[in-house]
Amino acid sequence: MSREIILEMKNIVKEYSGFRAVDNVNFSMEKGEIVAIIGPSGSGKSTLLRCINGLVNVTSGEVNLKGETGMVFQHFNLFPHMTCKANITYAPINVKKQDKETANRHAEELLKMVGLENKADAYPAQISGGQKQRIAIARALAMDPDIMLFDEATSALDPEITGEVLNVMKKLAQQHTTMIVVTHEMGFAKEVADRVIFMDKGVIVEEGTPEEIFDHPKNERLISFLGAMLRV
Amino acid sequence: MEKIMESLPFMLEGSVVTIEIFALTLVLSLPLGLPIALGSNSRFKPLSWLCKTYVWIFRGTPLLLQLFFFYFFFPMQLGWQISGFAAVIIAFVLNYAAYFSEIYRGGINSIDRGQYEAAHALGLSKNQTMKDIILPQTMKATLPPIVNEAIILVKDTALASSLGTVLELMKATNSAVNRTTDLTPFFAAAVIYLVMTFVLTLLAGRLEKHFSRYDAKEEW
Repeated sequence: MSREIILEMKNIVKEYSGFRAVDNVNFSMEKGEIVAIIGPSGSGKSTLLRCINGLVNVTSGEVNLKGETGMVFQHFNLFPHMTCKANITYAPINVKKQDKETANRHAEELLKMVGLENKADAYPAQISGGQKQRIAIARALAMDPDIMLFDEATSALDPEITGEVLNVMKKLAQQHTTMIVVTHEMGFAKEVADRVIFMDKGVIVEEGTPEEIFDHPKNERLISFLGAMLRV
Repeated sequence: MEKIMESLPFMLEGSVVTIEIFALTLVLSLPLGLPIALGSNSRFKPLSWLCKTYVWIFRGTPLLLQLFFFYFFFPMQLGWQISGFAAVIIAFVLNYAAYFSEIYRGGINSIDRGQYEAAHALGLSKNQTMKDIILPQTMKATLPPIVNEAIILVKDTALASSLGTVLELMKATNSAVNRTTDLTPFFAAAVIYLVMTFVLTLLAGRLEKHFSRYDAKEEW
């Protein structure tokens, strides 16, 4: 199987008024790969993710991206004045210039995939947090992105409903969707990721397979981070 | 009673002019406020400075002063004869656009950053983001202050009487009182103004209901 590099980031630096949120990070990924980024709060993992789709402009460095990204946010960011279905079809119709019929059909398939076909006409305020996030995933997928970016997609949810969102993400993983998942869900990272990256203070401290990172961590900062995560 | 019946047709004619001033001002100043709001928010400093100065001047000086200024400015400085009615519309529209722009700006600035981020992540242009994502969400929040301004506008139309040439309700009422030396036209005018503001309040209530349809939390 040929390995196609889909994203390459070289010497990425992001500074906020003197503070280095991301400090000279190099990163690349292949098509179909699932990468989990873990690390303490403020380690720069979300900032790095946002450098990929331009939500954050890099201070220096180079981002080479082949294709389009879709993004899922911690706080969903659904458009509250549109129904769930309209949230999903807006960008395909208005950005990709798809005809309404195609966009609607695709939206229905996606609603089915996330298990919310009965919420097509509901407004975001009428559904639960887990349902909102599943709609947000469907909305991002509707643009047929080449890479899906998940920015702490379950962090704002109550623990008992993170499962419904993680299950949708697992389904995507099984379909070999290229994904970068910034997460605090260690179980999910261990089970689903091909590669795990541990970031701290703006740098990649350690990276490897889930076994290497979770079962045989080398760096002390990673060991203490995992220890802290397991205690909770 | 006879006296008021005598004055009433005249006052109703004045009411029509009052409604004309009200409606024209609203129809023209509501859209004009939007570019001023976007300009004030612009990162392009000269533009934002210009818009903010505009708002400062028109909110910071009496509407009556602006009214007289435009009434005399065109004939005296440019040699153009304009009617009192036209001067009223110009002054009112420019003045109210300043107020509306600040209401819009408050609405726009109240929208969560996440909405812009989601729009950007989906590839929406800046225009699409503003027109289809941000502005529709400001409607509900800006409606009550807009209605408030509209009610003030109903009463501000009475300022037009000071030019002496615009026969709106206040001017008609004054004339009626002067002619008949009877105070009832004042009461009649008060009732007419109250009816106008009442109708406005009713319409606003309906609009508010319409805009709040998407935040009903009924399903869970």
